[in-house]
Amino acid sequence: MGDMVGARPTSRAQAWGAEVAALSRFLALHWRRSAGIWVATGLLFAASKVFQPQSLGSSSLAALWPFAAVLILAAIGQTLVVQQRGIDLSVPGFISLTVVLVTHLPNGNSAKLGPAILLAYAISLAAGLANGLLITRVGITPIVQTLGMNAILYGINLGISQGTPTQTTHALQSFASTSPAGIPLPLIIAVAAVIITELIVKRTSSGRRFEASGANAAAGSAAGLRGNRYQVSAYLGAALLYCTAGVLLAGIVSQPDPFQGDNYLLPSVAAVALGGTSLLGGRGSVVASAVGALFLSQLQQFVLATGASAAVQNLVQAGALALAVTVYGLRLRPGRLLGRWRGRPSAATQPAEAGDTGPGPYDGRAPATKGQTGRASP
Amino acid sequence: MAVTAQDVRVLRLAEVWKSFDGVHALKGVTFEAQAGEIHALLGENGAGKSTLMAIAAGSLRPDRGRMELRGEPVEDATPAAIRQRGLSIAYQHPALVPDLTVAENIAMWLPSQVRSAGKGAAAWMRSQLARVGCTAGLGQRVSSLNVAQRQLLEVAKALAADPAVLILDEPTAALGADNSATLFAELRRLAAAGVAVVYITHRLAEVRELCQQVTVLRDGTVRGSLPVADVSDAQLLELIVGRAVTTEFPPKTAAAATERPVLDVKDLSARAFHDVSLTANAGEIVGLAGIVGNGQSEFLRALAGLGHASGTVTVRETALRTGRPEAALKAGVVYLSADRLGEGLFGTLSVRENALVSVLGQFSRGGLTNLRAETRAVEREQKELSIKASSPESNVLSLSGGNQQKVLLARALLNQRATLLLADEPTQGVDVGARAEIYRILRQVAASGTAVVIVSSDIRELEGLCDRVVVFSSGHAVAELRGSEVREDAIAHAMLTSTRGRRQEESRSGAPEGALGRLGGWLRRAGRGDYAACAVLAAAIVVLALYTQGHNSRYLSSFNLTSLTVLIAALAFISFGQECAILTGGIDLSVGPLAGLVVVIGSFFENAGHSVGVLVAGFLIMLAVGLAVGLLNGSMVQFARFTPIVATLVTYIAIQGISLVLRPFQGGYISFSIIKAINRSAGPVAIAFLLAVVVAVAMEGALHRSRWGRNIRAIGSDRAAAFRLGVRPAVTVVGAYVASSLFACVGGVLLMAQVGVGDPTQGVTYTLASVTAVVLGGTSIFGGRGSFIGALLGAILVEQLLNVTTFLQLSQAWQYWFQGVLVIVAVGIYTQARARSGGGLAQVTAG
Repeated sequence: MGDMVGARPTSRAQAWGAEVAALSRFLALHWRRSAGIWVATGLLFAASKVFQPQSLGSSSLAALWPFAAVLILAAIGQTLVVQQRGIDLSVPGFISLTVVLVTHLPNGNSAKLGPAILLAYAISLAAGLANGLLITRVGITPIVQTLGMNAILYGINLGISQGTPTQTTHALQSFASTSPAGIPLPLIIAVAAVIITELIVKRTSSGRRFEASGANAAAGSAAGLRGNRYQVSAYLGAALLYCTAGVLLAGIVSQPDPFQGDNYLLPSVAAVALGGTSLLGGRGSVVASAVGALFLSQLQQFVLATGASAAVQNLVQAGALALAVTVYGLRLRPGRLLGRWRGRPSAATQPAEAGDTGPGPYDGRAPATKGQTGRASP
Repeated sequence: MAVTAQDVRVLRLAEVWKSFDGVHALKGVTFEAQAGEIHALLGENGAGKSTLMAIAAGSLRPDRGRMELRGEPVEDATPAAIRQRGLSIAYQHPALVPDLTVAENIAMWLPSQVRSAGKGAAAWMRSQLARVGCTAGLGQRVSSLNVAQRQLLEVAKALAADPAVLILDEPTAALGADNSATLFAELRRLAAAGVAVVYITHRLAEVRELCQQVTVLRDGTVRGSLPVADVSDAQLLELIVGRAVTTEFPPKTAAAATERPVLDVKDLSARAFHDVSLTANAGEIVGLAGIVGNGQSEFLRALAGLGHASGTVTVRETALRTGRPEAALKAGVVYLSADRLGEGLFGTLSVRENALVSVLGQFSRGGLTNLRAETRAVEREQKELSIKASSPESNVLSLSGGNQQKVLLARALLNQRATLLLADEPTQGVDVGARAEIYRILRQVAASGTAVVIVSSDIRELEGLCDRVVVFSSGHAVAELRGSEVREDAIAHAMLTSTRGRRQEESRSGAPEGALGRLGGWLRRAGRGDYAACAVLAAAIVVLALYTQGHNSRYLSSFNLTSLTVLIAALAFISFGQECAILTGGIDLSVGPLAGLVVVIGSFFENAGHSVGVLVAGFLIMLAVGLAVGLLNGSMVQFARFTPIVATLVTYIAIQGISLVLRPFQGGYISFSIIKAINRSAGPVAIAFLLAVVVAVAMEGALHRSRWGRNIRAIGSDRAAAFRLGVRPAVTVVGAYVASSLFACVGGVLLMAQVGVGDPTQGVTYTLASVTAVVLGGTSIFGGRGSFIGALLGAILVEQLLNVTTFLQLSQAWQYWFQGVLVIVAVGIYTQARARSGGGLAQVTAG
């Protein structure tokens, strides 16, 4: 590799060669963490084909894609928050409230759907902004802030819905069930959201700084990045995505209940973990999270096809999350490295900080809830 | 402690090796300390002194080597075991738990034979503090002490253990002259009584004044061990710095002093430095010298926008506001921290991303970044700076220390707008070979027209590299050496002989006056007292009760009180569990579903007509399930390294699934006699509630009086310090999650009597309610301090609010509103209050 370094390509062919080499190195190194979920998803679909062919039948697929789209949107929102060392427990609140707003306010009248959707986005963005500002300015931990916000959003939700479901509008239902070129519209929207988010995070300066600041906020400040701004934008972006998920969900389910979002909390976190994004923040891949969401959705179809009850889904999803965290936890080499390094009681490394990651000299590490003022860990 | 003449070598470390990720910190070090002698251990930063002593104290495990303590080999070295055998250490960064009191920190340190209890204990502890002139009160929290008092407490704590071997790691670094004199007198007295004292320091004057023997470490090897009387200061310096290792420095350029300076600092002051003025010209390397901790690093940070300071900073004729890192970046200031891993590198990112993080704009086209241009630029720098990495896409942590530092230096070279490079200890943790290259790069940066300011504790480096050296002492720039004056002996002389005494650290300045100041003062007091929250809660509970009674006279009826107190009891027990988890700095989301699962289990066993055996079996199964969930949560958190929230989210969902599998629909009525037994009341108040009160008081006592309580608070407050104090993290953390689950089970039993039927959806809401109750009660969400009585009061207020909604004819939505707003407001207020009261300081050091 050494001879490649800095070599100036002299011809067009060489330029292309260098380009391909750089790109392949980039892919090899950056997609290593997310390769697992691609393989696992491939294997799952293959296993579905062999053991439960009906779970890939046309009716099953018709049921799979729209719900997968909703989960994909929730999962990429969760990814943004996790990348900023947070966790978002208000996913159900956002989705359920949006569902209620776009079904109860029009109450069957398609003409009122537009304003209802706009209101849903406005409320979601305000709540996302509140999450971000209270976490960065007041110093409330993400867990408590989003747990509390979830309750507040449910408060609004129940104030409007009184806890009862309403028939969705015809307009939204037909919107969600159209399939241009045979592809369900919700899936197109979700894929578009994935592509746009991926482009912003990976290919714009702000996105790249967003990722760096999430990886190590202290190093970010030292390099002149405004960490707070990126944290707030994560919660705003997530709110936008959850709201979109809620709108789609309200079109997919003909009579959605006001607790419809409850099914998306754990899967959204699990999809992030399955995609290989460290739950301690930093580098993440929204594409991998989306694949993780697809994996979980198909897993659900698979389990349903075996005749197991819906309740078993909870166990399967919990198992998937635990497995993902365990597997990636074992593979996370840099984290271990850093942990041991930090365990060194030298002048440069405060022993009190030694415990942020991995096994230090003592058998433990600072819990994640300390992350507010703490330094980021991989 | 009497030591016989035969075993004067009370501490012996032989052939000790220790490496951190391939970097050798100790290479076969042999060290002996004799009874009755004060033995100085000298060496530069990173020479291995602290590592060696941490190994002796049992807080680090050596890769190889033997240790003997008082003539006996040491096999399994844990901090507590070593202390038990008569070795006590005062760390440079004190092993103190910030949220615990002074007395508790001392008590945790003492080996069992020294521990005293009863009436005499407090007086004895006070006498121990007085020995070294520590004026801290026994009941004061460590987080409220200033740095000097913490250092004195650390020393007092080490002395109080009545050791045969006493190790002190730079104890006077933060002390004034008076305190140092008191300490020295005490150390001489101890040595005369036969204690072996190991004294780590940077100050040669202290060695002369105090010590009989001196050992010098350099680069992890012993360079000499000899009587102090036989060696001159010059010889010691030579041993410390090491003439043998020659590093080639690039030639100095004639300082371009004629130009207008790139950096012009006038009278900059902050807590760590005072009235510092400094200029730096283009093409010049200015060195800031001084013993570590004399304000030079903080000064550099302030220039980088990290930390506020008063005075003026001008970069290329533009005034720079301090405390704004992004403004510094915009002005072309590039800062490299001494804490490369914590504050320099983005550990999970690649070489390319690390090098380009602050200059991405230069490589964007049409708003999108350009991978090819980036790769080309980084590859160019990689070649230019000979950064040994297999490709720009390699993870930056896979590089050696020297190459990591070069990646950070590339940031300055890649930044087209770079005007000023600030580097704190640029060659710390870098092997000798790479140092020369880093010096060359720094020169290259300077030659490109950027002013360079470095902080270094390596005098030779300053001599060889810098055009000008400013010497810091006690936060003041006390000398400036230029041209031919920049010599090692002159720098060392200025550093070590500065007559300026260290200012005694001022106590925390008062809050600003006015309404805001009063609010701040109130917040500080609220944050300081554990029971301020309780008083506020109790008042809120009474006011709410009276208000509701005014609107609906049935509110305080006996019937409502009974049902309300049963509900409170259920939430209270679940909250006690949550309290245990949160005290460790974790959280337990699974308590709600677990309580629900207990209801479901009860619906199979606790039915009318079942024999006593079946009824008892049901309760035993609940107990077993609780135990299993607690062990699972604790193991995931402690051993599999899940974050507490993810671990308990897994069990949260899984338990809900189990409940739904067992009872897809409501069913299984609970026996009426069991319901009646559980709901029994004394007058209008449920017995279960009285039980919760008793448990809260008992737990509160245990939290403050028992070793269990001290350990759980210590772990939550500062895990690393707790470990060094002898707490076993695994037992404490897993135990806390087990306690959490068992309390949730008790709550579940009470809930069962309320619900009366197997309902899979019950319980879930108790997770949020319990977190709300706990944080309302004043427990820190970061762990380390809290109150079970507070949790009980929190539970009362939460249930009362839920109950009130029905009496005030508010809709169900209000129940959500109340809880959501309450939990956010409570945590917001307490977080702010602690940040102001000094608890926040603890958070920063623990983080």
